[in-house]
Amino acid sequence: MEASATTFFSCSLRSSATDRGRSLCFPQLKSSSKHLFSPSGRVSFSRPRNVLAVSADHHEPDGAKPMFTTIPGSDLPYHVKTSSKITVVGVGNVGMACAQTCVTEGLVDELALVDIQADKLRGEMLDLQHAAAFLPRVNIMADSDYAVSEGSDICIVTAGARQREGESRLSLLGRNLSLFKSIIPQLVRYSPDTILLIVSNPVDILTYLSWKISGFPPNRVIGTGTNLDSSRLRFLIADKFDVNAHNVHGYMVGEHGDSSVPLWSTLTIANMPVLSICDKDGVKYSRESLQELHKMVVGGAYEVIKLKGYTSWAIGYSTASLVKSLLRDQRRIHPVSVLAKGFYGIDKDVYLSLPSQLGRAGVLGVASVQMIEEERRKLHESSETIWDIQNQLQI
Amino acid sequence: MRGSIVSLRRVFSIMLTIWMSCFLGHIRKPSSCLRLLFRSQLHLRPGFTLSILNSSMSNRQDEGLSAFARRMHASGTNLEQHTPNSIFSRIPGSEIPQHKIKHSAKVTVVGVGNVGMACAQTMLSAGLLNELALVDVLEDRLQGELLDLQHSAAFLPRVKIVADTDYGVSADSDICIVTAGARQREGESRIDLLDRNVNLFKKIIPELVRHSPDTILLIVSNPVDILAYVSWKLSGLPPNRVIGSGTNLDSSRLRSLLADKFEVSALNVHGYIIGEHGDNSVPLWSSLSVANVPVLNFHDKKGVQYNKETLEEFHKAVVKSAYEVIRLKGYTSWAIGFSVASIVKSLLRDQMHVHPVSVLANSFYGIDYDVFLSLPAQLGSAGVLGIANLPITEDEAQRLQNSAKILRGMLDKSKMQ
Repeated sequence: MEASATTFFSCSLRSSATDRGRSLCFPQLKSSSKHLFSPSGRVSFSRPRNVLAVSADHHEPDGAKPMFTTIPGSDLPYHVKTSSKITVVGVGNVGMACAQTCVTEGLVDELALVDIQADKLRGEMLDLQHAAAFLPRVNIMADSDYAVSEGSDICIVTAGARQREGESRLSLLGRNLSLFKSIIPQLVRYSPDTILLIVSNPVDILTYLSWKISGFPPNRVIGTGTNLDSSRLRFLIADKFDVNAHNVHGYMVGEHGDSSVPLWSTLTIANMPVLSICDKDGVKYSRESLQELHKMVVGGAYEVIKLKGYTSWAIGYSTASLVKSLLRDQRRIHPVSVLAKGFYGIDKDVYLSLPSQLGRAGVLGVASVQMIEEERRKLHESSETIWDIQNQLQI
Repeated sequence: MRGSIVSLRRVFSIMLTIWMSCFLGHIRKPSSCLRLLFRSQLHLRPGFTLSILNSSMSNRQDEGLSAFARRMHASGTNLEQHTPNSIFSRIPGSEIPQHKIKHSAKVTVVGVGNVGMACAQTMLSAGLLNELALVDVLEDRLQGELLDLQHSAAFLPRVKIVADTDYGVSADSDICIVTAGARQREGESRIDLLDRNVNLFKKIIPELVRHSPDTILLIVSNPVDILAYVSWKLSGLPPNRVIGSGTNLDSSRLRSLLADKFEVSALNVHGYIIGEHGDNSVPLWSSLSVANVPVLNFHDKKGVQYNKETLEEFHKAVVKSAYEVIRLKGYTSWAIGFSVASIVKSLLRDQMHVHPVSVLANSFYGIDYDVFLSLPAQLGSAGVLGIANLPITEDEAQRLQNSAKILRGMLDKSKMQ
């Protein structure tokens, strides 16, 4: 629904209206609360141990004192799940960058890696495990069998063909459709309460596909969307004005790709709109130069792919920031790919990036940012683009 | 220049307010308030040197730019000439020229392959740097990696990241990390790499030292002990400022294997592997402890008894583990990245932390000739501060001597004398 004057966030993707009467600032979404305790009461620590690269006998020789003397109760199963676990599907450059950044930032206690290439998978697992002495303890496991992903709080899907040089994100689509039909049901089967975070491109359509296949409520299926594009835009603006990128606030919404929409009217530095700063300084900007900037952001990914073959570090940081907001219930706003139906006048079943509040339950709400007419129109065009493609592929 | 005339009345009124608050007991330290106030007004550090939109580059001499840098600058759009903006009011002194500002914590990484980029990214994540310079010969790859890191700006503290094929960009680095060089092919031992890399270092090291005469060299390329020696000879730096990453990672691997076996955190396993970073490394079982319980009963204390052969299996696994990762995924990156970042942290932040890293071993542990190998070394801002005098057994000392002899033999055979 459209934002009323008193509503800061539009009520999100719930069909139930039971909570409309509650606090209008941050409408709580009852049916989006996750099961924080695993219903089966499974112990979260009793997982198959990592395979040691050693064949030596592990048992202490008879008569020797054990390392630790246990105390009563320490071997009873735990029913409260307090550790956080994420699964990363796909251990290519993007997947490993996401995994490594999440581990470095201390966001996870357990990490599961899944891929079809067994050798590469095991190699990446070992490489991360070897860093154990430099990191807080993380249980890292890897398998081609999705059973290793059981009980994940978040499943990050990076698997799929990657963009070749010059290839648009949409042309990847056909290659990735059938792949997702094999990935998503497996993830859902082993982690029915998980949040799906889709990174593979074209992210908006694949997120929609994941939503359809998984049968999850839409607040638990998210695409990384324009989180990174917005970051690139903020970096360019920050560099221009010699400020820290954290002081530039603004969003790019819509499709993660050529038809994304930079919200120039609400781009601010130190709470001052950037365009009015330009006006005051007499810095001339034209529609063309703003479009150039936008092209630079959109083209940023293509440029990196052309130069080094792929992108990895930036998307790794971007994904880790989303994981942090989700796992640590940060209630932070990110422009991520969410089900856009009912927001900003969009009436189609499409996923595209909107400024959304993320927390432990997934997407908590969508912010009602003031858009000017032109931006709203471009957003609708973006949704039309995605809708057309979805129709063509008969998803 | 607009905004450059400071209103004295305004400054005084601010100071008056602060002093008044001080008297009223609200603020304890007026001087720090002033500093805070002024810092918020200060012209923040100029932007990334090679950023596409940057027009502050117009001040730089064109001749100083390599063709690579010129290509980076000649691009895309320009939101007209950059003028002092109205976001901030300037105060006198804020227009300090770029080259006069001492960038604390600048690190150069030579070689933007998997190892180099893992080191760079881990250091960025750890928030260790103010400035990062990347140097390589492959221009496209270099530019791509630079852009990929710059795009992460919104998720990181502000770091100035520059890249060039010209070593000029590494000027005034606190630490120069060299990861360049051919990498081990599957099944190839580290020693086989040697000759390929000695020639490369003859080009790299003098350039680094020329631009950063006060730097600390941190060598990662393999065979690390020999290349650390080579770098020491080529650089002319005192030996406390040339370090090889050495067995820092081997020790970490050993600790994580043992931690997994004993089901404790790797941080509670204390022990070193020293000597050559490779097949002839020396695990110091006599001083290895888990939760301060010595693993080998060597001092007649009521410790925990373990079979020495079992432990040797662990050592073998550590030595083989790098080869195994290379066999499985083609290279190692994440672990060495973390290892290097931990060394860099000790150096930049003067941690006085002991790491088993490759240092000049002459006069330690009975070694009386020039050779670099890993010993437990205390690291701080000055580089290697000292070597720990760890009691080691006869057996371990013998193995260390062997390690040293083998390395010295390699050096004698190589082109580097």
